[in-house]
Amino acid sequence: MSDTLRPDILSRRRALQLAGGGFAAVALDSMLRADESPHYQPKATRIIQIFCPGGMSQVDTFDYKPELKRRAGQSFDPDGKLQFFASKPGNCQPGFWRFRQHGQSGRWISSLFPGLASHVDDMAFIYSMHSKSALHAPGCFMMNTGFTLPGFPSMGSWVTYGLGSEADDLPSFVVLPDPNGLPPGGIINWGAGFLPAVHQATTFNTKSEQQPIADLFPPTTFAHVDRAADRGGLRFIRKLNRRHLAERNGNSDLDARIKSYELAARLQLSAPEVTDLSSERDTTQQMYSIQDQAVGSFGRQCLLARRLIERGVRFVQIYCGAENTQAKKIRPNWDSHEDVVRDHGYWGRVLDAGASALLSDLKQRGLLDETLVMCTTEFGRQPAAQGKRSAGRDHNAGAFTSWVAGGGIRGGVGYGATDELGFKAVDHPTYSYDLHATALYLLGIDHTRLTFYHNGIQRRLTDVHGHVIDEVLA
Amino acid sequence: MQLFQISVSVLCFHALVASVAFAEEAQVSFARDVAPIFENHCLRCHKESHAKGELSLQTPHGLRENEYVIPGKPEESHLLELVTSQGNNPPAMPKEGPTLSAKQRQTLRRWIDQGATWPAEVVLQQRSKADASWWSLQPVRSVPVPDSVTFAGNDAVPSDHPIDRFIHAKLAEQKLSPSVRADRRTLIRRLYFDLLGLPPAPETVAGFVADNDPQSYENLVDTLLQSQHFGERWTRHWLDIAHYADTHGFERDKRRDHAWRYRDYVIQSFNADKPYDQFLREQIAGDVMGPHNDEAVVATGFLAAGPWDFVGQVETKSPVLRRASRVLDLDDMVTQVMTATTAMTVNCARCHDHKLDPITQREYYQLTAVFAGLQRGDRDLGKGARHKYESGIAQLESEINEVSLAIGRLEGRGIDLADIVGGGTGFGTGRKGLGLDARTGKTQERPFGDLGNVKPGHYAKVNHAFIDGVFVPANGESQITSTRLKATGLPANSGKAWDMIRNGPVSSQFSTKFGAVDYNTAAHSMIGLHANAGITFDLVAVRRAIVGENTAATEAQSDSATLRFTAVAGYGGKPEEPSAEFHIFLDGALQQHQRIGRNDAVPIQISIPSAAQWLTLVSTDGGNGYGNDQVSFGDPQIRVEAATKHTAVQQQRVAALRRKRVRLVQQLTAAGEPPVFFGVVSETPAAIHVLDRGDPESPGDVVNPGSLAWSATPVEFGSTDTSDARRRTAMANWITSETNPLTTRVIVNRLWHWHFGQGIVSTPSDFGYGGGRPSHPELLEWLATELATQNWSLKHIHRLIVTSETYQQTSIHPATRLDGAASLVEKHEGIPPRKRRTAESDIDVDNRLLWRMNPRRLEAEAVRDSVLAVTDKLNRQMFGPGYRDFNYQEAYAPIYTYKTADSPELWRRSVYRFIVRTTPPQFLTTLDCPDPANLTATRNVTTTPLQSLALFNNEFMLKQAEYFAGRLQAEHPNDIPKQMARAFDLAFARHPTNYELQHAAQLVRQNGLLHLCRALFNANEFVYVD
Repeated sequence: MSDTLRPDILSRRRALQLAGGGFAAVALDSMLRADESPHYQPKATRIIQIFCPGGMSQVDTFDYKPELKRRAGQSFDPDGKLQFFASKPGNCQPGFWRFRQHGQSGRWISSLFPGLASHVDDMAFIYSMHSKSALHAPGCFMMNTGFTLPGFPSMGSWVTYGLGSEADDLPSFVVLPDPNGLPPGGIINWGAGFLPAVHQATTFNTKSEQQPIADLFPPTTFAHVDRAADRGGLRFIRKLNRRHLAERNGNSDLDARIKSYELAARLQLSAPEVTDLSSERDTTQQMYSIQDQAVGSFGRQCLLARRLIERGVRFVQIYCGAENTQAKKIRPNWDSHEDVVRDHGYWGRVLDAGASALLSDLKQRGLLDETLVMCTTEFGRQPAAQGKRSAGRDHNAGAFTSWVAGGGIRGGVGYGATDELGFKAVDHPTYSYDLHATALYLLGIDHTRLTFYHNGIQRRLTDVHGHVIDEVLA
Repeated sequence: MQLFQISVSVLCFHALVASVAFAEEAQVSFARDVAPIFENHCLRCHKESHAKGELSLQTPHGLRENEYVIPGKPEESHLLELVTSQGNNPPAMPKEGPTLSAKQRQTLRRWIDQGATWPAEVVLQQRSKADASWWSLQPVRSVPVPDSVTFAGNDAVPSDHPIDRFIHAKLAEQKLSPSVRADRRTLIRRLYFDLLGLPPAPETVAGFVADNDPQSYENLVDTLLQSQHFGERWTRHWLDIAHYADTHGFERDKRRDHAWRYRDYVIQSFNADKPYDQFLREQIAGDVMGPHNDEAVVATGFLAAGPWDFVGQVETKSPVLRRASRVLDLDDMVTQVMTATTAMTVNCARCHDHKLDPITQREYYQLTAVFAGLQRGDRDLGKGARHKYESGIAQLESEINEVSLAIGRLEGRGIDLADIVGGGTGFGTGRKGLGLDARTGKTQERPFGDLGNVKPGHYAKVNHAFIDGVFVPANGESQITSTRLKATGLPANSGKAWDMIRNGPVSSQFSTKFGAVDYNTAAHSMIGLHANAGITFDLVAVRRAIVGENTAATEAQSDSATLRFTAVAGYGGKPEEPSAEFHIFLDGALQQHQRIGRNDAVPIQISIPSAAQWLTLVSTDGGNGYGNDQVSFGDPQIRVEAATKHTAVQQQRVAALRRKRVRLVQQLTAAGEPPVFFGVVSETPAAIHVLDRGDPESPGDVVNPGSLAWSATPVEFGSTDTSDARRRTAMANWITSETNPLTTRVIVNRLWHWHFGQGIVSTPSDFGYGGGRPSHPELLEWLATELATQNWSLKHIHRLIVTSETYQQTSIHPATRLDGAASLVEKHEGIPPRKRRTAESDIDVDNRLLWRMNPRRLEAEAVRDSVLAVTDKLNRQMFGPGYRDFNYQEAYAPIYTYKTADSPELWRRSVYRFIVRTTPPQFLTTLDCPDPANLTATRNVTTTPLQSLALFNNEFMLKQAEYFAGRLQAEHPNDIPKQMARAFDLAFARHPTNYELQHAAQLVRQNGLLHLCRALFNANEFVYVD
């Protein structure tokens, strides 16, 4: 394996030198940092991460708590000492869906996820996740960047900084936001923070056939341009730039900028191609339910994610839920304060359809072995009920479940545990640090050695923490 | 290189010692072998001052008492177990940082085995890498300026400029020589972008190139330093360090509508060349040091400029979450002040003593205590000013309302019921989007969804002259007036309600278009009335407003005139199948009702006899659930039924009233922005504890406000009782004290960085161990001294830097120029061709020694401003609220949707942009505009295909290319050669070559002038400055 890796990296370096900057402009120095070879033998070459903003309830989904059922209706906090994010705890509220064991491994999953239930033997569950904040934006920032404050690079940016791109005609870090809006905290959830802007995510807008990427083409409303004029203009720019460069030879920045127009032209071909889902077989389209009114939009994102990683994109993040949309009759994400059945019911169907199709599809195509699929949320929800009708649940930074599957992951295992009610992680409490350290490890990166100097500190995705979770590794 | 050799030999020495020690199985030395392990790996957490009850490794007592270490018995000593991995689990200790190596564990084992001796009286201290002897903490030295250097083969006379003498001395040491002076076109373009952030006009370039005055360059420098644009340009740099934005950030990214006053303060200060020490004092404590000086008070916007988590600070009910947010809030202020002014990374000491620099965790919390009395928020400028301003505005608004009403009455215009719902008089004074709660009658602004606690049949009074009340209709019969009048025959409904009754669409309304008309536009109005809800208007009051109480000018306007209610009822949901109903009642009698769906637009015309008292509009859900039932009334108006005939007298009165209204509106505009700014509000400081590992739930000792101990000046700023004012005053004085070694060094280095693209210290915000070392230490000392002795004048330093020969060198790499091929301009100016050189690039490829100027790429903002300058669309209006190139939608988390900046108010300089934290504009971000969450000392410069796409295809760029072409056509109608020449002059500050003209002509011929303009904006020469 390491024999085949080296030439790959060398050729990538050569490509970079040719490209000068570009998708792959992955800073030569970052590869030098990695001593031109991965720290470990990689088990996965790319990541698809599904992010469920709003706070997915663990006790309604993956974390089976029979004791909660036994205590149903009893006071959760008899002393009245607890104060959650927005409320005082109500009574113990068992999961709103029935749990059943699945697969060879016998993992428990609620009936909210019938599709995912058929994949449990490929999935590893981390039951003991917790967060440093029970607020949406800091929680999302932490899960994406390792810090509760804004301004830090997201995991996808770190990965491209460390590894660069495999694709020479697509960006290496792509984000597919929920078509209804941004997650809590906004665009900076996938920002590059203090890393150079080459490492920032490119968002694909799957709603727009003309412009899957912002400014890919001139707006159709602008009448004075056509492809011929574009070409004429670009030819002229090249002539100007070459003359300009000739007088300043040796300035590689100028050279890189000339090349970047050529790369842009390639992107104009590749981006519409990758977002054109109609070229997929009918059966595939059906598998992802892309025509379904409710779940189709997330299904399309999942299918697009597969197409992107097939073409060498390194990191794809998909959002299953938004935040700052106008009030809707269903919550715009998993944040089910007043009606878990309504909101988790809706978003559960969405996630289950898309994610299970994605796992099946990747597996069928043999891509799952090299693709790490991660699914997470920013924090969990309380085992106690919230609201007059006791139909909701408040935020819970103390416990939630994340799952991982695919490249290098041992399927069917569970790691860590919450207490008997699912209130707090008690066995192997795990912050985002360990999850990130594990994902980087699978890509061949030692999380303590992927660093960038900023205002006095060699910054890391994992701050000063993080351990690889060996228990979930194959 | 020399350094490296030294360190290698030191390493060898250590290795030697170690191997000898091993060979002889010598006694482990506590001081040499064991102490460093504890100091480097354990003491950060395990020390006396840290949290109660925890183990301290500063002395041996804790280790021995708890059997962590049992002398002579390593197997039973718990310590070894803790640092060794157990099964699959990593070692329990150290919790942070790398695990101990096998060799280190072996050392501990042998130490215990040999009796675990710990010399009496030895107390271990965690050590930072740098101590108080660190270079940047030493007093600024007064250094002599080196002699001038004459370089062989350089035809210029040796420069006498002090900066050059420092730079040249270093170059000579390395046997390097400086580059020639750049040509005059390059110099003026460089100066313009550097000092103003804008391109020079072609006429200015020509004038400068032709100017034979030996002082012409210095004159130009002085002119530019006096330009108003200078402050705008350099404020953008400062705002990077202040991480300024116009919204809070985080989840509920609310607007800070008054933050701009701080931005204006910085512009004014830079333009006025305010002494830098005063500038800093004002920003840290201006409100308490000069409470009657508005400018000084506004300056504290600096402390509040960073992000702030509304949900964590205000909204959450959890005290734990609030404490956590507050800790980070104070951290943001401390970090900003200390980073910006002293380039000390104090925030690294929040959880433990600084690993690199001499800053203890305790000191960090002392610094925090300085700001413990501050909250961010809107603050009034001057006592009572806001009240006076607001009552003045209210007075003007009410007069405008009266005049509008009178005009409307005279013209017989209708009264707009939607405007009334928005709190207005019916003549356009209401607020769009405002809503009335059908449950309570209260006014609401933000969007709601499904309403709780709905009581069908309950009638709620509304506090508005024209509205009697609102209600959620009960089935069948429902009260519809405050006089308990009832309507009957109402259809059954679900008893649920959604959002408010609005002047405009309701939240998540699918469409506002009924028939061919979109009623949510400036020319129209609409009431959004989602099922199930009702509203009753007071017709007596409406009639009085329309007709007037005593007017009897015409028959049509008499009290007894018949009024008419007109509107178009529509359905704003998606389903085409009719699924909601509206009912209209006059005094409880049904006038019109219909079940409607997406395709309906029902005209309504109802006569209102003079005796009628109540008009009631009701929407119900049609009995199939209330989903999507967004009933709306487009252009809902009540007017006099008979057409009005105007007499001449009336026309005169209307004209007079209109003039009056224009005057009033002018007065309202002239009143300007409210005397409010976003800054800090001072209160009694809360106690600040040292927090174990930075955790607000593990408070330790209470600390007094204070500063860093290495400092020569007093570092205690009082006690826990000291007021906020005195704490911050002490801090401001400490930072600007002449004995503070950092403040002057840091700012002159920042200026240097911004002028040259690289600082003398390459990390302008880190003067500690982790940062860079000065490339020219003596020069840094000299500049710092110069600043202090020249009354802290920044413009003095600017002038010094840009008038140096070092600054005026060419940026072009001489080594790579073809032999004998001077640039055209050099030929023109008679500069002889240069010999091929490589020494400079071999020895100093990064140009740290400045043997040439660094070429620079324009920042995102400068690109945008330059485009606008070249097209002549730049709106040079200074100051005031920022331009908003986005549509704003109020929501729990507000939504900012960018639009193409295509109108003069959006064509202001980028420094006036209203900066949104959660949603930065993609165009600028792509061009490396930094995230305002970060304190950005040095901007990244990257080159990506997305940048090319943005500059080539973004609608703003294309529109501007169109305007550029329009400008050329206007200046030289139909004269293509002149247009092309002018285009190059404007974009590049130079004439085109024949080669360029030839190809430009071909492009223009085939694709049009616009495409030449577009191409020039995309050229390297446009975005790079030599």
